[in-house]
Amino acid sequence: MATSLVRQTKLLSIVSSQLNPAACFRNIHCTAACLKNRAARIREGKGDKSVTYEQAYHPHHIGHRKGWLSQHTSNLQGEDGAAERVVEDVFIRRFMYGTFHGCLADEVVIKRRGNLLVICAVMIQKLLPSKFYFLIGYTEELLSHFYKCPVKIEMQTVEEKVVYKYL
Amino acid sequence: MASSCSQALRHHVCKSSRILRIHLQKSWPKEIVIPKKKTWSKEAVLQALASTVKRDPTASDSRFQDDPYLTPKTSSEFKLFSLSQESGRNAAKYFINTYPKYFQKDYAQPHIPCLMPETLEAQIEEASEAALIERIRMRKVKAAVDLYDQLLQAGTSVSLDVTNQLLDLICFCGDHDPTQENVPEQRNEETEDVQDEPQAKKGRASKASGLLKATWKENNNAGRIFALLSEPNTHSYSALIRGMVKYGAYSKAFSTYTDLLNNRLKADVHTFNALIIAAPEVKEKYNEKWELIVDLLKQMAEQKVKPNLLTLNAVLKALRRCGTLGKSQAFPVISEMKALSIETHNHAFPIMLCSAGAPIQGQTDILQEVMNEVSGKSFTAQDPDDAQFFITAMRICLDTKDMEQAYRVHELLGVGENWRLLGNDFQQSIYYARFFSLLCMMENIDVMLKWYRDLVPSVYYPSSNVMRDLLQALDTDNRLDLIPQIWKDIKQLGHANRQNLVEELLTLMAREKHNQEVQESFAECALDIKKIYDTGDRGKVLLSWTAGSLIDLISVLLAAHRRQDAWEMLKLFKTHNRVPSEELLNKFLTCVKEAGEVNQAVELVQISAGFCLPETPKLIQRVQQEFELTEQQRNMLSDLEIQTFNSD
Repeated sequence: MATSLVRQTKLLSIVSSQLNPAACFRNIHCTAACLKNRAARIREGKGDKSVTYEQAYHPHHIGHRKGWLSQHTSNLQGEDGAAERVVEDVFIRRFMYGTFHGCLADEVVIKRRGNLLVICAVMIQKLLPSKFYFLIGYTEELLSHFYKCPVKIEMQTVEEKVVYKYL
Repeated sequence: MASSCSQALRHHVCKSSRILRIHLQKSWPKEIVIPKKKTWSKEAVLQALASTVKRDPTASDSRFQDDPYLTPKTSSEFKLFSLSQESGRNAAKYFINTYPKYFQKDYAQPHIPCLMPETLEAQIEEASEAALIERIRMRKVKAAVDLYDQLLQAGTSVSLDVTNQLLDLICFCGDHDPTQENVPEQRNEETEDVQDEPQAKKGRASKASGLLKATWKENNNAGRIFALLSEPNTHSYSALIRGMVKYGAYSKAFSTYTDLLNNRLKADVHTFNALIIAAPEVKEKYNEKWELIVDLLKQMAEQKVKPNLLTLNAVLKALRRCGTLGKSQAFPVISEMKALSIETHNHAFPIMLCSAGAPIQGQTDILQEVMNEVSGKSFTAQDPDDAQFFITAMRICLDTKDMEQAYRVHELLGVGENWRLLGNDFQQSIYYARFFSLLCMMENIDVMLKWYRDLVPSVYYPSSNVMRDLLQALDTDNRLDLIPQIWKDIKQLGHANRQNLVEELLTLMAREKHNQEVQESFAECALDIKKIYDTGDRGKVLLSWTAGSLIDLISVLLAAHRRQDAWEMLKLFKTHNRVPSEELLNKFLTCVKEAGEVNQAVELVQISAGFCLPETPKLIQRVQQEFELTEQQRNMLSDLEIQTFNSD
């Protein structure tokens, strides 16, 4: 089926070029779309969906009305390791989401200062403080051993998820 | 104009620089000495930054998160949170060590060994000396002993060094694997089947062994392996003797020492230290003990073994058990040791101080000498008992009520690394409890409160006894108006359920009359306290009313003219079967008269009659005189009068 599609595309391009020789080549887009205009945006709904500040503002507001969720220096000129940092960040976010299940009030902010990895999280006061401390000790120890660098968690708690608006 | 200005300026600068140069040439020496290049350690910048930051008295300990929900407010919460954090770490360590293959990838340059998974199982399987060394390093006592037996049976000889290491391990661990602290059951089982050694065990030791320590068994592995050695050297004897002393087999230790002397070997300083510690256990009378110690020291000198700091500590510890003789001998010992230029650290002294039991003046003198020597210096812990120094010093200050010395001791705590000598959290709380009690007794209230705000609750969570001391200090200094604030702190610290503390608080509030604002705040506080008495979680009653506390509470409310609240409280007397006092009813009547409530006055008299109080006739008279009564009320009162008259 793929080969027939390619042949059809070639046919189509030949036909179109012959029809309009001044026009540039336009082929059929057969890879997955990037959807840059739908990423990280919650669409407006009936008005019953609560969103936090982070979720309410769209990616083009980063740097203007939002801050960065992940802070490291690999994106500077001459620095490398950006891809590894991204993969680490994804792992850390999933880890936090699973370990503190149902407790996260907002996205986790990850900061790197030298060797130190600081995970800043806002939690809902769903568990007892002793249970929070158990999970904090567990996370810090496990992630330090996994990434071979000191990992610290800075946690703040709120009584319930802070709603910015309803969409 | 600008150019002429600049020219004038330039001229001026040249002139002044010329003058400067001439001056410098006169004052500088002919030789210019270039100073040596200073090398800074890698952490120099961090240390400089750290020296600019002091402790934040509003924050809790640094191991906790900086959030009001997650900050511990009482000492039990402090312990709970730190322990739960530790247990989380242990859980993570368990996973890391059980599945090490996920943690092998090494990102760190340079390599960080403490972040790699630990190997818990011995790697080398075949029976060889290397395998034995590995098991000794991992502190696996049983496995090491089994392997040693295997090796001997197979005929391979094990070198004396390795055997000595094995002996060290067995004697240190007491012939069982070092178990974790949270498995006390195993230890108890092992100590059950110990046969009593009649000489070595005294009553105290057997009780201790039943609880915590294992004891030296008769035919244990150490003795057996030692016997198998063809040529035991000093090290082997030393290991054996030290193990015996550690686990209570004192006379056996001395007989082993005699063996050593018979074999014409020299003992080393560790052996002598162990024997000196064991000396008081072997002899009964004080002077015999001292003679034994002196004998050991003489032998030490003969064998040319140089005594070290631990020797001094051992002698002083032993002298503690020598009673009065010990006290007289301690100072000469210290001065001799000084002559031998052993650094007499402050650690030696507190043991000395414990020994100087009775003469309190002696203790303060010693403490003063010690503080003169050690103030401003930073120490590291060298003896296991070093953690007792600050606690003992503060106890002496408390006993002798010496505030100056206490401040000096506290200052010493802030120097350099000395905070490490304060011990674990429990010892820290003891230290601060003593410091606080001393402050409450000796200092005036402002200084006391300054320290209170500095230390509580960031470093220290006071116990209810210390809060009572604080209340007494407030009383002495006539600052009872601070009581509502202290009550808030008491509630936060979790001491609100202590009966005697709350009652003392109420008594202090009810005792005297204060000005209006203070009375108002007292009334608020009293109503708050009332809530504690009434509500309990799920019907659990925390505190029970006593007559005294009820009376005090109502007096406080009356003094603030809260008549309605006081009236409701009066009903509680009946429900809780307590009897009100006469002066309370009189006070109430006065208050009612001010308000002019005749009905309440009559009801008051009825209540009093209900309790059959002897005061009732007088009350009736007062009501009849002071109030304007209706016919009905007058009749009621006369009835009551007759009733009470008849019942008398």
